[in-house]
Amino acid sequence: MRLPSLTLVMLLGLSVGALGANMTIMQKGRMFSSESITIKKGETLTFLNDDSVPHNIMSTSPGNDFNLGSQPPGASTDVTFKEAGDVAVICAIHPRMKMTVKVTE
Amino acid sequence: MRKPSPGQLVATAIAITVFGVVGFVSGTYGSALVGETRHLGVVGKADSSVDSLKARYRRPTMIPFPKDNLYTPQKLALGKKLYFDTRISVSSAQSCASCHSPAFGWADGLAVGVGFGMAQLGRHSPTIINAAWGEIFMWDGRLANLEEQALGPIQSPGEMNMPIDQLMERLNTIPEYKPLFAAAFPGEAMSAKTLAKAIATYERTVVSQRAPFDDWIEGNEKAISEEAKRGFVLFNTKAECASCHEGWNFTNDGFQDIGLPSEDVGRGKYVPGVVKMQHAFKTPGLREISRRGPYMHDGSLATLEAVVDHYDKGGVERASRSDLMKPLGLTVQDKADLVAFLKTLTSELDPTAMPVLPR
Repeated sequence: MRLPSLTLVMLLGLSVGALGANMTIMQKGRMFSSESITIKKGETLTFLNDDSVPHNIMSTSPGNDFNLGSQPPGASTDVTFKEAGDVAVICAIHPRMKMTVKVTE
Repeated sequence: MRKPSPGQLVATAIAITVFGVVGFVSGTYGSALVGETRHLGVVGKADSSVDSLKARYRRPTMIPFPKDNLYTPQKLALGKKLYFDTRISVSSAQSCASCHSPAFGWADGLAVGVGFGMAQLGRHSPTIINAAWGEIFMWDGRLANLEEQALGPIQSPGEMNMPIDQLMERLNTIPEYKPLFAAAFPGEAMSAKTLAKAIATYERTVVSQRAPFDDWIEGNEKAISEEAKRGFVLFNTKAECASCHEGWNFTNDGFQDIGLPSEDVGRGKYVPGVVKMQHAFKTPGLREISRRGPYMHDGSLATLEAVVDHYDKGGVERASRSDLMKPLGLTVQDKADLVAFLKTLTSELDPTAMPVLPR
């Protein structure tokens, strides 16, 4: 399993968009860069589409549901999780892409 | 419907002010806080040399079976009989093979399927070829695995219309089925679960055979024409087919609205708040494709030439249409090359022997 890298956003100096962001999940080759990741409630995860096709990252997990819509290649979006618990994150377009975000208190 | 939280509105406002883009916030999904979307332009270019492209399409050497339904020859033998047995439909006139027939590339050769009472169904009967590698089942992905899929059409009122309890009662009255179930599932009762496992086991053994394309991939330069070789490169580059039809089975099982002018919302019924899932259908594999027309989820295109034309034009423009769909600017020669390539994915399929059914 590959470890999540530090966000490229910080490296690129786009500091406004990176407030609170400390971890990035990438999507190259129709795969999440991590199957599972643990973060604290209120922390932010960045979803970076470093793949060659659009993705549609989302979750229907209660308390942490979200939908990024169609995210084109090169796009990066932050998601802040507000409730503790396991969040099942998928790509709506690509059903083989599945991961769990474990949100702790 | 959930309203966006103040935090979401602030984040969106920042995005518009600073970056001029809007982070997508659905009206339906919104408990987690979604920030702005930034466009970093960090995507690397994939290696598109022919050798590196070829490496992505090598046939697997083994059929995958799930841990909770491993292969046995006894399951296969039982599953094959059930697959071809018309008595699993309420009318005793339809079997799985009625719509997924080896004679038509494991589909039915019709635009849309025919169900109970000879009524036309809404969608094209998909092939079962290479279903063992499927991630999710049905055009709209409503069933999670092949065992669930096996029971779906049997019970569907519009298809075989057979209540599962009635089916098990009927099979119990056919004496020769009992020892077959006992051999396949020792110590287990005849049930919907074991029936589904047997049918799924048989279906997993329906695998596309070696096609000229496979010989070319493995080094025989004479296996396919120069036209088809150019088509393979186009398939992976200018025509962008491989964005969805990828890997040896030519699908990633993804859902895309490819702009066919159909009212059917497809995957959208099961993922209602997601724009890109409206009118989206599962990407089919392309093995044995020459035997599987008419094409598309609605059977609306009769030939591979018509399919390539559709992708070249880009289909109906609407919010749900895949961002990958756009006019491609293919030349007449490009289109002919693509069709020539697609035809190399069809094998000389061996005939399938019909089983003798239990009485």
